[in-house]
Amino acid sequence: MRSTRSGRHFFVWPALVFALTFFLAYSVSAQALLQTGSQAPSFSLQDLEGGTVSLSDHAQKKAVVILFWSTWSANSGKALKRFEDFHRKYRDKGIQILGINTDNQTLSPEDVVQIKAVVRGLGITFPSLLDRGLATFRAYGTIALPSTVVITGGRISYELPGLPLVATEDMFDYLSVLAGDPPRKKMEKMYEPVHAAIADTNLARGFVRKKMSVMAYPLFRKAIEKDPKYILPYVELAKLLEAEGNAQEAVETLNKALSVSPDSVVVMSELGYLLVKTGKLKEAVDILGKAAAKNSYTPSHYYYAYALGKDGNMKEALPSFEAALSLNPFEPSIFLLRAELYENGAMLKEASADYKKALALMLNVKE
Amino acid sequence: MTKGRSIRHVAAERVFFTLFFLLACLCPLLPVTETCAQEGRDRAASLSGEAAKLSDAGNLERAVEVCREAVKADPAYPEAYDQLGYLLFRKGSFDEAVGAFKSALRINQGMRTSRTGLGLALLKTGDTQGAEAVLREALSMNPYPSMTHYALGLVHEKKGDYEKAVLEFKEGIRTFRSGKR
Repeated sequence: MRSTRSGRHFFVWPALVFALTFFLAYSVSAQALLQTGSQAPSFSLQDLEGGTVSLSDHAQKKAVVILFWSTWSANSGKALKRFEDFHRKYRDKGIQILGINTDNQTLSPEDVVQIKAVVRGLGITFPSLLDRGLATFRAYGTIALPSTVVITGGRISYELPGLPLVATEDMFDYLSVLAGDPPRKKMEKMYEPVHAAIADTNLARGFVRKKMSVMAYPLFRKAIEKDPKYILPYVELAKLLEAEGNAQEAVETLNKALSVSPDSVVVMSELGYLLVKTGKLKEAVDILGKAAAKNSYTPSHYYYAYALGKDGNMKEALPSFEAALSLNPFEPSIFLLRAELYENGAMLKEASADYKKALALMLNVKE
Repeated sequence: MTKGRSIRHVAAERVFFTLFFLLACLCPLLPVTETCAQEGRDRAASLSGEAAKLSDAGNLERAVEVCREAVKADPAYPEAYDQLGYLLFRKGSFDEAVGAFKSALRINQGMRTSRTGLGLALLKTGDTQGAEAVLREALSMNPYPSMTHYALGLVHEKKGDYEKAVLEFKEGIRTFRSGKR
């Protein structure tokens, strides 16, 4: 964003376009960095040759870059090629790329043959791992395919869902600087949440999982006090409040988050979803429409679709559900929300199919 | 009479001594039999673990073979039959899966997972009624299993009763979320 300031004396269209694209890049990164600072979940996965590769094997590297990809996602091939180029250039500079395939919950031998064919066809030389059961995909909270996670010093330092044009270039700039290259352009210092705020948030999430919400509330609030710019505790606190029937306070919490980070697609999306649940459909459609237009946070698509459907616009809702599914077909919520709309519309065959799919994903069973 | 009594006496003595002799011979073997059974169970459990690893690694064919060895190692181990049933189900061998689940249930009628597996396999073989009956039994044994609700949902879906299918799938989701799986 700052780099465009030099162009403010020349009010010409290219400069404006440049400014806009950098603005978008910044907002995408900002929303995607929800997990930044968190400990990277460990994993041990099989590679295509049958060997085992663990995250801990690369603990000495400057950075480990995980690319979650699938053979069926539109941009995975492009992402793999891009990372292969990077790998060839920087393989000896302490940056380890690991491709993690997430084609399906259960992989048949035919699936593996297909994955190998794609990897060979693209000439991929960095390790390609198979995430059978998708445990690693879920542990990293992946919301879209492809998705990239950068780990430095055992912590997540960068996340990028999808392969958005400008944000991808920013990420490769970040990686080449990590590898020791001089910065290509003036780079803004990346936001890093205060460690104590991360710790409190993680602890609070643990209490939520154990259904000990009384313990979680003060910790989320402390995390917000310690780092008001850290979005995750606002979002988690709002979810907890809503789940416990305090929707009004949940909306207030997310509005506070929005005042701190007005471009956060995550906050816009979660707030929009909450508005749907509290019956404020017009407001919800408005804010979710804006969030979905940024095309960088998968839930924004299916929340928007849900809002449209609830508002009686099923025709427009369905393509947004499809957009979400094309990014992440492993998210049960997409099927659940669509099923609810079908059920309300007395389309029971379709509702049954979607509820079935959601439950199959939860139970991790192959249909 | 005296002679007859004496003959009966001798016969009784012989029977007594034979029994005593047999018991004396078998007693030391009893712990051995127990040890053999324990060894068989341990081997079956170990093979079962190996089969699970193979299955997780995507090697279904080999997993089935190893699981069959587990069944041979201890034919009274219902968990091995249950596992074999699910592996065969995943492989698409539904008739064989039915057999494996039935074997598990013959040993232990309380195997809920086998009952659900049997329901799923029966559904695949086209026995919708049989599947429904077995799954209802499974549900009565434990009202919370999401998997059984899922399987019953499949039964209703196959029968074209989407209203009931929706109810079962939703109940499965509810029980899953409540942690009562």
